[in-house]
Amino acid sequence: MQLHAKKKIEIVVESACAKRLIEMIEKAGATGYTVVPQVAGKGVRGVRDEAHVSDLYRNVMIVVVAQADVAMRIVERSQPLLENYAGCVWMSDVQVVRDAHF
Amino acid sequence: MSHVLSLAVANLLTPMVLFFALGLLAGRLKSDLSIPEAVSKGMSLYLMLAIGFRGGVELSHGAISGSVVAALLLAVLISFSLPWLACTLLRIVTKLPLTDRAAIAAHYGSVSVVTFVTATALLVQREVSYEPYLVAMMALMETPAIVSGLLLARGGSQRLSKELMHEVFLSGSIVLLLGSFGIGWLTGGAGQAAIAPFVDQPFKGILCLFLLDMGLLTARRLPKLSETGAMLIAFGVVMPLIGASIGLIAATVLGLSVGGTCLMAVLAGSASYIVVPAAMRTAIPEANPALYVGLSLGVTFPFNLLVGIPLYYAIAAWIAG
Repeated sequence: MQLHAKKKIEIVVESACAKRLIEMIEKAGATGYTVVPQVAGKGVRGVRDEAHVSDLYRNVMIVVVAQADVAMRIVERSQPLLENYAGCVWMSDVQVVRDAHF
Repeated sequence: MSHVLSLAVANLLTPMVLFFALGLLAGRLKSDLSIPEAVSKGMSLYLMLAIGFRGGVELSHGAISGSVVAALLLAVLISFSLPWLACTLLRIVTKLPLTDRAAIAAHYGSVSVVTFVTATALLVQREVSYEPYLVAMMALMETPAIVSGLLLARGGSQRLSKELMHEVFLSGSIVLLLGSFGIGWLTGGAGQAAIAPFVDQPFKGILCLFLLDMGLLTARRLPKLSETGAMLIAFGVVMPLIGASIGLIAATVLGLSVGGTCLMAVLAGSASYIVVPAAMRTAIPEANPALYVGLSLGVTFPFNLLVGIPLYYAIAAWIAG
């Protein structure tokens, strides 16, 4: 089977910032994204595991698979948006089956 | 004085307050007791539906007079102006940057629905009636303070984006409160008879379970003295007293009953911890959320629940009784 090299970006961010990031991701040219609505873990801002009454302490994960140039654009544009929020971004190499979908 | 004390003790020994205390204790002791998020959100929707609906039904029994309109306008005015007072007070007693002060101040102009609901439960238990439109006043007081907070922070006009305004003015709690109020008003006594088993009987029990959850949540959000500072924590106690005093004055001007006066003090003295924090996090991201959530949820909410409500009631009974 023929596989195609793509980049995968994962962004873990507090939910308050998620909407702006998703708008940016779409503008940057990604064809789609996946959101994990609640994730828990520990980062430089301490343990975040709470989602209660208000969504203030909820973290979400946004996953995007895209071509290398689009992926780079997303990573660059994500940085100013994350300035005042708890969030981290990482990128990795992945392979997909359907080239035209990403 | 002894009357106030006995009233305070009587208030502390209600199931509502004791369940809140149980939640606080369990949270501090790091018990694994927890209420699933979906259940907690469901209960808060139930409480808003019930309180809104009952207010609307009550209003349908009497004609709307000019004083109702005056009361609603005054509620908006209080919510809009309290943040200025809070922000000035914070400038005097703390060295916080303007963004933090503005964000905290916005919370104190807005209201806590749960504090209000708990106060109404206390009034019902004592068979004290209150003006039904207080519920509508509560719904209207949720958001003006957000606008004030953003105006107080530098670059206010940029922060007041259209999306944000859409979000806060159509936030779920406002839509449900005003919507249920409207449905109660339209359907009146017949509507009440139709759904009383749902909105009346389980109300206090569900409030107990919800307050247990609030206790657990509060225990985890108690501010750390080393990070917050004694002056800011003191602000979390003094500001509700100032707000409540303004509420008492407003209630006297409006000529409200004892129950209405007590609730007006609760409205002006309570601080938001759901709608406003979410709006501040989006619109003033530079402000530290640990400060404003720690204060409104960790200090002011338990203070109002344990001390404020009985105190406001005692004063209301003295003024309007």
